[in-house]
Amino acid sequence: MTEALAMTGIVKRFGALTANDHVDFSAHKGEVHALVGENGAGKTTLMNILYGVLTPNAGTIDIDGKRVEITSPSVAIKLGIGMVHQHFKLVPSLSVAENIVLGHEPGKHFLLDLALARKQVKEIATKKFGISIDPDAIVADLPVGLQQQVEIIKMLYREAQILILDEPTAVLTPQETEELFKTIRKLANGGKTIIFITHKLNEVMQVSDRVTVMRQGQLVTTIETAQTSAVQLAEKMVGRSVLFRVEKKPSVPGKVLMEVRSLKVDSSRGIEAVCGLSMRVRANEIVGLAGVQGNGQDELVEAIAGLRQSREGDILLEGEAIHNASPRKIRDMGTAYIPSDRTLVGLSVNDSIWENMILGHHAYEKFGKGGTLDKKKANSFTQSMIEEYDIRGASPQAPAKSLSGGNQQKVVLARELSRGGKLIIADQPSRGVDIGAIEFIHRQLIAMRDLGCGVFLISADLDEIFSLADRILVIFKGRIMGELSSSEATIEEVGRMMAGIARDGDKKIDE
Amino acid sequence: MEIRKLTNKKILIEIGRPIITIAIALLIGAAIIALMGEDPVLAYSMLFKGAFKGLGNIIATLQNTTPLLFTGLAVSFAFRSNVTNIGVEGQMLFGALAAGIVGYYVHLPWFLHIPLAIIAAGLAGALWAYIPAIMKAKLNVNEMVVCLMLNPIALLITGYLSSYPLKAPGPTNKTFDIMKTARLPQFSNSSQFNAGFFIAIALLLMFWYINNHTKKGYEWKLIGQNPVFARYGGINVERNVVQIFLLSGMVAGFAGAEQVLGVYGAFYNGFSPGYGFDGIAVAMLAKFNPLAVSLSALLLGALNSGSIVMQMMTSVTRDIVKVLQAVIVLLLAADFTLDMFLKKRRDDAAGRKKAKLEIEKP
Repeated sequence: MTEALAMTGIVKRFGALTANDHVDFSAHKGEVHALVGENGAGKTTLMNILYGVLTPNAGTIDIDGKRVEITSPSVAIKLGIGMVHQHFKLVPSLSVAENIVLGHEPGKHFLLDLALARKQVKEIATKKFGISIDPDAIVADLPVGLQQQVEIIKMLYREAQILILDEPTAVLTPQETEELFKTIRKLANGGKTIIFITHKLNEVMQVSDRVTVMRQGQLVTTIETAQTSAVQLAEKMVGRSVLFRVEKKPSVPGKVLMEVRSLKVDSSRGIEAVCGLSMRVRANEIVGLAGVQGNGQDELVEAIAGLRQSREGDILLEGEAIHNASPRKIRDMGTAYIPSDRTLVGLSVNDSIWENMILGHHAYEKFGKGGTLDKKKANSFTQSMIEEYDIRGASPQAPAKSLSGGNQQKVVLARELSRGGKLIIADQPSRGVDIGAIEFIHRQLIAMRDLGCGVFLISADLDEIFSLADRILVIFKGRIMGELSSSEATIEEVGRMMAGIARDGDKKIDE
Repeated sequence: MEIRKLTNKKILIEIGRPIITIAIALLIGAAIIALMGEDPVLAYSMLFKGAFKGLGNIIATLQNTTPLLFTGLAVSFAFRSNVTNIGVEGQMLFGALAAGIVGYYVHLPWFLHIPLAIIAAGLAGALWAYIPAIMKAKLNVNEMVVCLMLNPIALLITGYLSSYPLKAPGPTNKTFDIMKTARLPQFSNSSQFNAGFFIAIALLLMFWYINNHTKKGYEWKLIGQNPVFARYGGINVERNVVQIFLLSGMVAGFAGAEQVLGVYGAFYNGFSPGYGFDGIAVAMLAKFNPLAVSLSALLLGALNSGSIVMQMMTSVTRDIVKVLQAVIVLLLAADFTLDMFLKKRRDDAAGRKKAKLEIEKP
């Protein structure tokens, strides 16, 4: 049988780093092929080579048995390869049909035949693949899950035979994920080849026919999904077995460290993003805030950290209202904050690690008397942090950008947790870091809880929420939809709340 | 010195880049001179001799370097924090006027008079810089636009004041000659080289220390590198931006003081040939490092002083120096993009070579 796709001996180097080291990857026609690996394992590089974004240093690609040279994405599209990126490339103000035909518009002499476009879209989506979507809907009004379907239909419209989906579930609710999986199956049954990049192993088990594991630029194995298990895949990904749920004792919550009372916060666009939200975090507990991205989490966290003004309501730290205090004051009151955007907010990537490590500490006497800065002390402090937090490949003088994502996050973690704060706000602490680092971060957060800190964990990843939180709050459209204790909560229940469906027999919030 | 350990290769790149930039500028200048029908080699040799041959020329070069040390420092200090103070020219003019006023109207022994006049100049410069500072911090108005518009306003206001209310009798639009007690000591009969040079060097060292060995210097660098990160870490970015602007304006004001107290002895309307703007070129060439400002100011100062001799000995106009300066600035501004271009080319070339080897191997 001829493979729909065969990549042979692919090598891609970036300077000294070998991102793909003689990778042989192939996919059959009509299969869902999951591509898994930690961040930096080389999955995205490999797919970017296939999609013509990168040119390999060596290796060949065959499509349907024919040797091809893919020099650019437009060549890839002509060869029937489509890619759905993590960040959608749609025009929000245009309709579904307009977005789908964009770049390949039907019509004569510069005129767009929109009626034909609508008809074609309907035909492809509904008749061929059973995806129901209104071609006249404006993309901006659609939920994320449907926007993604638009992206997929766009690829189908261009007659893609091979579809690459780059971490497609990262932005979806569990229900939307289900829908996506149904679509994926239909497409595969219709003869399309689906390559599905992810690092969520339960999804791999659920949807794929075969799975390829990559580690450190090399292809570890390609195996039938039915013949493996999530645990086995995880071991192959990291080269050792991982504890998926970090062990932790039950929590004994203490006094209230942070209280939010009917808080209202506007987004940067002036729209009310947090709408009268109330919640509490106590000492000795981890409170997980689950929710689909964009439901007011960012605004809530920024208001607590002092980076965004609130309009109404109050935030109290140990009983003291902070009233839009400066970030400095809030830090001095004992707050540590791990921001979700590590490269823009949490670090100054062009600066050295020591400069990143002492921010917020630098005013202290230990880094020089009066206004002077004792670089030796800053360096030795940084060195001790590098050792304590096992930051690999780091030296105090090296720029922060020279570190991998996981190790960058450890710099943030070391800086924030070593300040002796009582309240720890961890916003997506393990986003974009490898499994080893995730485990480390989780252990640290639990250790801080056991030392008496209150941890407020915001995460889009339910696995993370379930494995860490003692109490789960679900946010939807700027409000807390409900509260569950993690021992009694189920993924389905949280998922429903994330989608805005209230719980039966509504429990009172934050008693 | 800096703790940062530079490998030999890195040092070579750091030094090599400005040298290549200057070399390219000189080549382009040579082409222009040749197009005008002159001998570039002769012109350049006159330029060099005019700048460095004999003690007299060297001293004249140092005199031409002095104002650029101040303005180059003022610009470097602000640009390092991403505060685009291109209003140094206007701030310098107000500093100069203040020095001229204090130098004439105040009567004090020299050891008080000189410092007072310099401080007045610094304050005047800072005050003029406060306008763009406060507009940026409070109203989020782009400081570049404000500075650009404030420069001609400063020129016209100081011009008016020195031509009407404060004008000394005589044909020239200038203020009264300052008291002898306010005069900065001069060291040569043939030029106006004065003690301001050493004040400038002291300032460079001071700002180098502030940048590298104080907490403020650390905060100011972070603000330039990533203001979001700085704010997140508890640094009051707005307040610090105002402080940076005030200090930069103060140094610009000192530049005016040196010109009035050390060179002219009075405020002359339109005395500056654009030292504030030349300061931008100096700062860019020095990569905003105060110590490197001394070298880049010397280069531009030498071009300025050498060009006088070149103009006398050949028929090449001294404006060619302005062309060289402009080319240097352009090349430095393009440096970033060029760098990326070269790197990409290198990567691709290396990639192709390796790919070939890979294919041939098996």
